[in-house]
Amino acid sequence: MLALSGIRKTFHPGTVNEVRALRGVDLSIEPGSFVIVLGMNGSGKSTLLNAVAGSFFVDEGRIELAGHDVTKWPEHKRARLIGRVFQNPFSGTAPTMSIAENFALASRRGQSRGLGWALSPNLMQPLRERIAALKMGLEDRLDNAIGSLSGGQRQALTLLMATWLKPELLLLDEHTAALDPKSADQVIQLSDEVIQRDMLTTLMVTHSMQQAVSLGDRIIMMHRGQVLHDIRGAEKKRLRPEDLLDRFDEVRRRELLDESAAAMLNELYI
Amino acid sequence: MTLLIGALIIGLILALLALGVLVSFRIFSMPDITTDGSITLGAAIAAVLLVKGVNPLLATMAGALGGAMAGAVTGVLHTKFKINSLLSGILVMTALYSVNLHIMGRSNVPLMQATTLASFGESLGEWLAGGKTIHILGWPVAAADAAVLFLALIFTATAGAAMFAFFRTQIGTAMRATGDNAQMIRALGANVEGNIILGLALSNGFVALAGALLAQYQGFADAQMGIGMVVWGLASVIIGEALTGTRSLGMNIVGAIMGSVLFRLLVAIALRWGLNPNDLKLITALFVFAALVLPGFIERCKRRTTPAT
Repeated sequence: MLALSGIRKTFHPGTVNEVRALRGVDLSIEPGSFVIVLGMNGSGKSTLLNAVAGSFFVDEGRIELAGHDVTKWPEHKRARLIGRVFQNPFSGTAPTMSIAENFALASRRGQSRGLGWALSPNLMQPLRERIAALKMGLEDRLDNAIGSLSGGQRQALTLLMATWLKPELLLLDEHTAALDPKSADQVIQLSDEVIQRDMLTTLMVTHSMQQAVSLGDRIIMMHRGQVLHDIRGAEKKRLRPEDLLDRFDEVRRRELLDESAAAMLNELYI
Repeated sequence: MTLLIGALIIGLILALLALGVLVSFRIFSMPDITTDGSITLGAAIAAVLLVKGVNPLLATMAGALGGAMAGAVTGVLHTKFKINSLLSGILVMTALYSVNLHIMGRSNVPLMQATTLASFGESLGEWLAGGKTIHILGWPVAAADAAVLFLALIFTATAGAAMFAFFRTQIGTAMRATGDNAQMIRALGANVEGNIILGLALSNGFVALAGALLAQYQGFADAQMGIGMVVWGLASVIIGEALTGTRSLGMNIVGAIMGSVLFRLLVAIALRWGLNPNDLKLITALFVFAALVLPGFIERCKRRTTPAT
């Protein structure tokens, strides 16, 4: 479904701000699998998602998605295959436009947009039903500006928008990190429901060990722009939050040796 | 009375300018100074074609199309070459000054002998009224003026309705979302750069349409006529927002039209009272400055006077 090979990306190359964000990522994800991406700040997990989404072009490597080589596709072209929910609840919706208009935009994700009316009757009927199913009481407020809603409501709607047309790949970038605990739980539960129902291939970045353990069928742990651990199958099922914390501690210990020290030790002893 | 009708007609024609500015300034949050060049471009193209005897409606549309192309160039400079939006507009506006002089061949093209939409309206009015004057509410009014006013009203109302309809289509909503949240609409598969180019083309198309009509009403096109026009449009948009609010696009469009007419009336009254025409641009700029700054200033004063709790 999604295949990354040898992905490298350096930001601001040749300057003092040089950041080698991705240093050779190889990853292959089967259709229908729900992959959790973990990692400390700066490990490259969000960069990985953005590379897949096409927010920038990678320096090296190849990205294949649903049988297409999308490495050189611009972001808006990849949107045909990808649904996205961002960390910031403000990022996924157009605030001054109504709920209905936002969904009208989402209902043509990746398709050509013509001179037909945006708010067509055959959009409004299913829209009302699916928003009523959220049980947030928003089905009577479809003409309200989406900016007047709470972060949790906006994030739930963004998720619904991203999956309105079934995406080949769903990208969730810490989409509950900015929410209060109760809204975060609601959005996580909704995400799980939608992903299970539509059997969506999903990449989800999170900081929550709890979410990482209870959701998904595979965990990718990123460190310094590479995939450090890949936990799947029975091992993933057995995994407890403590096991993950142990692995993070191990990473932290390794972090104490900086790169130049590691290179020196390498030279001396190996 | 003639003065009032003249002000109304010019206000309605410049409402098209205000609608163009509404698109660039409010929908794309991009004060687009291409406006100053494209209004003259619209006037220049229309005037030259009219002198050659081209059908007035065709000449007007050609003027609007020219403006749309100028807007698209600004859009390309901004999106493809990553030039700051204000600077892109300044570059195109400056270039247009020469382009306009080349099109006209001199700095002023009079339209006294040509058949224009205005002269067509005037003769239509006199034919319909069967005489030189008609009476509206007991006032004697030149039938020619009344007919031109009526035509301007129809033209502007149609343009406003068309704009409203366009921004409710699939492509139109995607363009509004581009100004509202570019990241979101890109993630939904819209080409943000393309939408900005199209939006600026639309904006300057309306502006040039205003220019083409204004030239026909005044009876000439002039290389200097565009100076300060973007500020004029901003003033109209801001007055419109005070009149109708900003809640919906429809209200914004109606507001911009009303704002333009009201602003022109105020200017006509001020000039009648002896305002020096040379001061007009200064006062317009001061007005827009005040309208931009005052809301925030009043807000701060209120907060300061609210006792701490």
